[in-house]
Amino acid sequence: MPKRRDIVAIVLIVLPWTLLITVWHQSTITPLLASQKDDRRDGRSNSRNTFAFKESCSLQNRDIVEVVRTEYVYSRPPPWSDILSTIHVITPTYSRPVQKAELTRLANTLLHVPNLHWILVEDSQRRTTLVTHLLRDMGLNYTHLNVETPRNYKIRGDTRDPRIPRGTIQRNLALRWLRETYNVNSSQPGIVYFADDDNTYSLELFEEMRSTKKVSVWPVAFVGGLRYESPKVNTLGKVYGWKTVFDPHRPFAIDMAGFAVNLRLILSKPQAYFKLRGVKGGYQESSLLKELVTLGDLEPKAANCTKVLVWHTRTEKPVLVNEGKKGFTDSNVEI
Amino acid sequence: MATRMKLKLKTVFVLYFMVSLLGLIYALMQLGQRCDCTEHDIPKDRTISRLRGELHRLQEQIRKSEATKQPQKPPDRQPTVFVITPTYARLVQKAELTRLSQTFLHVPQLHWIVVEDSPHKTPLVTDLLVKSGVTYTHLHMPTAKDRKLQEGDPSWLKPRGVEQRNEGLRWLREDRRAQPGGDNQQGVVYFADDDNTYSLQIFEEMRSTQRVSVWPVGLVGGMKYERPVVEGGKVVRFHTGWRPSRPFPMDMAGFAVSLKLVLSNPEACFDGEAPMGFLESSFLQGLVTMDELEPKADNCSKVLVWHTRTEKPKMKREEALHAQGLGSDPAVELVDFIQQRSG
Repeated sequence: MPKRRDIVAIVLIVLPWTLLITVWHQSTITPLLASQKDDRRDGRSNSRNTFAFKESCSLQNRDIVEVVRTEYVYSRPPPWSDILSTIHVITPTYSRPVQKAELTRLANTLLHVPNLHWILVEDSQRRTTLVTHLLRDMGLNYTHLNVETPRNYKIRGDTRDPRIPRGTIQRNLALRWLRETYNVNSSQPGIVYFADDDNTYSLELFEEMRSTKKVSVWPVAFVGGLRYESPKVNTLGKVYGWKTVFDPHRPFAIDMAGFAVNLRLILSKPQAYFKLRGVKGGYQESSLLKELVTLGDLEPKAANCTKVLVWHTRTEKPVLVNEGKKGFTDSNVEI
Repeated sequence: MATRMKLKLKTVFVLYFMVSLLGLIYALMQLGQRCDCTEHDIPKDRTISRLRGELHRLQEQIRKSEATKQPQKPPDRQPTVFVITPTYARLVQKAELTRLSQTFLHVPQLHWIVVEDSPHKTPLVTDLLVKSGVTYTHLHMPTAKDRKLQEGDPSWLKPRGVEQRNEGLRWLREDRRAQPGGDNQQGVVYFADDDNTYSLQIFEEMRSTQRVSVWPVGLVGGMKYERPVVEGGKVVRFHTGWRPSRPFPMDMAGFAVSLKLVLSNPEACFDGEAPMGFLESSFLQGLVTMDELEPKADNCSKVLVWHTRTEKPKMKREEALHAQGLGSDPAVELVDFIQQRSG
């Protein structure tokens, strides 16, 4: 008899506690856990619970991008999200036979990236119909600018560097347009990236650069006569040098495709432009970056600069010998 | 003594039970106060609900835009475009396949058949295809050594991709034979090299191919573009600067064959022994005559595909570093290790 009473008593004790536990389990995860505001997705953290929490948060962000990307496949571009920062891609371009092909395949890539704004700057006196129609038919969110590079820069006799590197004036125009269009105080979050029209970009690259706070960097393939050039990153996750053969002592030994700048930084330093003249080969990027940021401020991306997400491909100049002097093919057909 | 013990135990139990009951009542009261959770609401919580809301909004937008589109055939009724791409390991392979996959990802009902010139499937291509999101089939077929271009050979010396394209055709025939519909299946077969550039329109143009359709190709044959000349809706001759007397003087990227024709002609394949420039003709000769060709791209007046070629990247410094034993980390994937041996 006492045994049965004991059992009844034990049941009466355990039952309410199990009810209580299930009730607590269903409510939101308790505020007793982490209060860190750290957004970085590094693995180190104090307690396992906090890490799981942060990861679920960043996973949510990625989930959105993934869902948008896979579900929209045939509706392009992806719908505009109010949360993701806008990526402003600045592409200088100039007329040559492969121009339409290059811009077509670059646009096919960019059409997959959410919240992208393409700033295409032509090296021409007037906006060409080829580019105008291409942009109109693509469906991308774009801005079409143009500025012609003066051909006669040799007059001043600057023998060391008589010509300005290609695309400089065009990129500077885009920077100026950004500064005129966006206000440093009220601007939405944005990232600025310089993308040449003949390179190859993976879609992962654009998601890596979205979290740029000042200037982020990553490896680039096929530059500097190497398989890839990359920043040197120490164990603390900071950039301390450059793994290149060609002049690794440049302030920023990096290719144009290897870095992205936060829009706010561009707007807050209105004097920062690419230097036009007197710039040695390979120092173009440094001429802009040294006005914006120091080496220690650089943010390494692409798994601490161990993955290659962008390739500096170059397209062969097509052989057009059979055109002859007068042009064999109908010049009205656009290529 | 026993009774005293028992009594004590009883009080303990009763006490315990009362405490539990009070705890339960408290918890149930908490349940009722759902609006009072701002103190428990930390920023990350808010972000999650905001992201969820954003996700739902975007999904709604997608559904809305899909609904307002012009009513067209539901995607699974459109004829599938089977794209056969031969590829081989070299420095720019990953880049080429990446940007090609980015184009194909836009095309509905596309099945990408990638055939590697390799004795086995490489991890580089395997991973790329998995991550690409494109519907694909991954095959491999090595080229015989004497048929392979050696280092320093000009690119026109030996035909490239022959064995691979034939393997793609063989797989396609075998796979489709097992499908319902037999030889009457809808579909189009297109040979897309991995360094060319394709606009999205070309795939829509070729979808309606009944036998063999043709269109202009840009930047090929030593000219801005090569194209079939169309009169009265029929192809009468070809506008090309190089050997126009060939049966079909066009590039691989300039035609597509209907699946029906491929299946009903199981012997049709590319002839590796054909003289330079006759590769396409060796395939098409048995399939169709010139007046049966269907001109696309606005009666062959628009260029929707370009025969671009990618430069070989300069590796002088890499080789110099290698000599010193300081080459860049080969573990960073760019190029297959097989290529390293010959490079």
